[in-house]
Amino acid sequence: MPRLTVDDILRTKESHSAGLALKEGGYTAKVTVHMGTCGVAAGANPVMAALRDEMEKAGRKDIFVTTSGCAGLCAREPLITVETINQPPVRYCDMSDQKMRDIFGEHIMSGRAVDKYALVSGTEITDAPVSGQKPGPSVKTDVTGPSEKPAIPSIEDTPFFKYQVLRVLRNKGVIDPESIEDYIARDGYQAVAKALTQMSSEDIVKVVKDSGLRGRGGAGFPTGMKWEFASKVPSEVKYMLCNGDEGDPGAFMDRSVMEADPHSVIEGMIIGAKAIGAHHGYIYVRAEYPLAVKRLQLAIDQATERGLLGKNILGSGFDFELGIYLGAGAFVCGEETALMRSLEGKRGMPRPRPPFPAQKGLWDKPSVLNNVETLAQIAPIILNGAQWYRSLGTEKSSGTKVFALTGAISNVGLVEVPMGIPLRRVIYDIGGGIKKKGRKFKAVQLGGPSGGCIPESHLDTPVTYEDIVATGAIIGSGGMVVMDDANCMVITARFFLDFTADESCGKCPPCRVGTKILLDILTDITAGRGKESDIETLEDLSRDIIATSLCGLGQTAPNPVLTTLRYFKHEYEDHIKHKWCRSGVCRDLATFRIDEKLCKACGACLRACPSKAIVGEKKVPHKIIQELCVHCRTCFDTCKFNSIMILPAGFEGDPNELPGVGAADAGAKKGDA
Amino acid sequence: MAGGPKILIVDDEPVVIKSAERVLKSEGYDIEGAGGGREAILKLEKGGYDLVFTDLKMPEVDGLTLIKWIKKTNPHIGIVIITGYPSQDTIRDALELGIIDYVPKPFTPSVLLDVTERAVQWSEGRKPKEDKAGEEFPPAMAAELDRVIGAFRNVPGGLIPVLQRAQEIVGYLPPVVQKRIAKGLNLSEAEVHGVVSFYSFFTMKPRGDHNIRVCLGTACYVKGIEGVLEKIEENLKVGIGETTGDRRFSIEGVRCLGACGLAPVMMIDQETYGALTPAKAIGVIKGFDPSVGGAEVTAAAAQEEG
Repeated sequence: MPRLTVDDILRTKESHSAGLALKEGGYTAKVTVHMGTCGVAAGANPVMAALRDEMEKAGRKDIFVTTSGCAGLCAREPLITVETINQPPVRYCDMSDQKMRDIFGEHIMSGRAVDKYALVSGTEITDAPVSGQKPGPSVKTDVTGPSEKPAIPSIEDTPFFKYQVLRVLRNKGVIDPESIEDYIARDGYQAVAKALTQMSSEDIVKVVKDSGLRGRGGAGFPTGMKWEFASKVPSEVKYMLCNGDEGDPGAFMDRSVMEADPHSVIEGMIIGAKAIGAHHGYIYVRAEYPLAVKRLQLAIDQATERGLLGKNILGSGFDFELGIYLGAGAFVCGEETALMRSLEGKRGMPRPRPPFPAQKGLWDKPSVLNNVETLAQIAPIILNGAQWYRSLGTEKSSGTKVFALTGAISNVGLVEVPMGIPLRRVIYDIGGGIKKKGRKFKAVQLGGPSGGCIPESHLDTPVTYEDIVATGAIIGSGGMVVMDDANCMVITARFFLDFTADESCGKCPPCRVGTKILLDILTDITAGRGKESDIETLEDLSRDIIATSLCGLGQTAPNPVLTTLRYFKHEYEDHIKHKWCRSGVCRDLATFRIDEKLCKACGACLRACPSKAIVGEKKVPHKIIQELCVHCRTCFDTCKFNSIMILPAGFEGDPNELPGVGAADAGAKKGDA
Repeated sequence: MAGGPKILIVDDEPVVIKSAERVLKSEGYDIEGAGGGREAILKLEKGGYDLVFTDLKMPEVDGLTLIKWIKKTNPHIGIVIITGYPSQDTIRDALELGIIDYVPKPFTPSVLLDVTERAVQWSEGRKPKEDKAGEEFPPAMAAELDRVIGAFRNVPGGLIPVLQRAQEIVGYLPPVVQKRIAKGLNLSEAEVHGVVSFYSFFTMKPRGDHNIRVCLGTACYVKGIEGVLEKIEENLKVGIGETTGDRRFSIEGVRCLGACGLAPVMMIDQETYGALTPAKAIGVIKGFDPSVGGAEVTAAAAQEEG
């Protein structure tokens, strides 16, 4: 494989695009099977096998079959995209072997899209520089196929897609992540060509600074400033590092980017290296992401073969060597000084700053660490300029942000939205609201163990770094876990403290000891041993931990406690004073009772009860024998008539006389708070 | 072989049976005793034994008679003699009858264990188990480990990659492996151990043939992974961080597998399984070992499907 020059990149782009274009006499159809980790786990392999089988049987050689990374809508995996000549692409969801065969016969052989299996038609909205499109906000792509039936909703009419603008994820589900030509055909490595041959280090720093891009790893530090600091430190040896450790539970944006578009990360790193004057770099990836590691390694090999990594890149005289380093599983390694210690082969424990890594980082050399998502945005910024980047988002939080939308929501998936979009739009329009019927939204958890829970009343908060911090949560790396009213907020806080107490590296006592005490208090409260003074202790201790911890882990660990105390204090009070977990999650703090007026005697709960604690017969309201009840909440989840009441522990009286609430709120209705 | 090899100890001195039992039972062997040749034959008639350890000098039916009977009726049973009078003649007679080994009386626990282990391997006709006791591993494994250590000897920050490869090669990182790495990389053993114990990826306990990694991330938590985990633990009879007795499975709790879209999720080896229910999870595990769970589980899974 010859080393490429700048002209070669353009030529490769033209020829590869032309080769893939659907036309009579060439490929007449293209089928993309989306095979990220989720897709494969959901059953993409049998779908692919069925497709190959059908193609062989039909003897068709003019169908281009390719794989790509995550398509974003994880809830509907496996997904495929079918394109035929002069028709907009159609995306099919919930695929199976049989559906694949049906679609092959109908859509690919006969040109009739199969409406009943289709999700949407059209191309996802991106304003990133993609061949053939002029940059500009919210470019409408060509979806006006001549014979498209309205039976399949278009991207523009589907809320999940309509409100998204893809910049980071510009190539998601479109390119084959294992093909560098696919990436080049989508303007890949043109930014490297520009940065290496036409721009000085200062030029690059200026564009990135002007774009207002902030680090997407959590803290939101301006990327351009980070690069500027490091570029000004004189040193022969510097390091350009990428953080792909993604340790937040509930976040998978970085995995998806590394799996779906690995070259975009590499390209960002080459440009960053040029900006700061580094010739060596590492991508630090979690060992739990085998597919991401495999694809990154393949991408590095391809780029090295073609002279896009290594010595004298594109004949520019600039050298950059890149390697992968497998993380060994420690949450604290998301902190930059800890990650660098880990790269040195030691225990990944943070150290005080200053000196900042820009002065003394990996092996005491100036180093810059950027997150995967940050780096994936660099190429389009270089090609399109700072003003283009600022065309989306707000003054202080420009551009777009990727969120991993999960939990009790209909459309679980990976979404990219302009900064400043209200949370409500993300959760209700894009996410489709709460999935389970009869349940209500309770809180959205942002920022993982460092973040917090935001209640319904704050859902109009725009998604910007500043506004989210004002709620007590943080944007963090972009995990967005939606909880419905079947969740208990006290035990949710306990869940996060359990995590941070375990992951605390132990170097500084406020974090090591403090998180353990917080955890113990929360455990007591959820087990019915709470004291009235606990709430005050939690608040005081949280503030102390924040003020005195060494690194970001300790400084943010109390956030889940503080936000739940701020918005859901009544739940803590119910747990402590009334021994009452209204959602019935804390087993020791709930009594389940059937409201005889609402019970239809259908027998559903009776059959579902694992300890056979429910008695009753047809037309006779059922009854729970308290002595046999194990408080598993199965009956509550099973009952279609809201007849299961969740009462305080050991409560035997009239629900109307419950402390502080009327009978209507006595758990009989699904939805408190 | 469930529950370890079953061994019958035959001796007219109860104390010998008692002490052998004490040593071997804790090692997972299934031990029974017989006070003489007659009792031994009656027990052996019922079947199910893998090995017989027998004294030679016993009243009534003596050891040699017992051995002859066993060789005639149950030739697959391995025989070891325990004797206080190991005269060359009796040993030779016994060897001619096809015994595997002999233990001199009085014996130390380590001698007994050693002989038992060899006898079990011999009777099963297989090579020594590579991971047994973790103190020794086959020469090929050691050579591979040394090759990896050599490759990283001069690489700064090479310790973590070496440990990752070592864990791939050996399966886990017992003290003997850590020592070898420390020596090879010219680090202190404390430093190596410090890194091993810091990162959750490294384990000092052997893992099962199939490692089940259960995601304990937020999305999985919200979607009920706890119930799934409970069911898995109940069926395999081990908890998080443990390995089943037959070394088929080990369970590990991990922070987030990054497949939240499919929550709740687990990974078995390199495969990810999503949208789990307790029954579905057991169904998946059954695919690896049909003896897991029972008919009840299959029925529950079928009900859920329907």
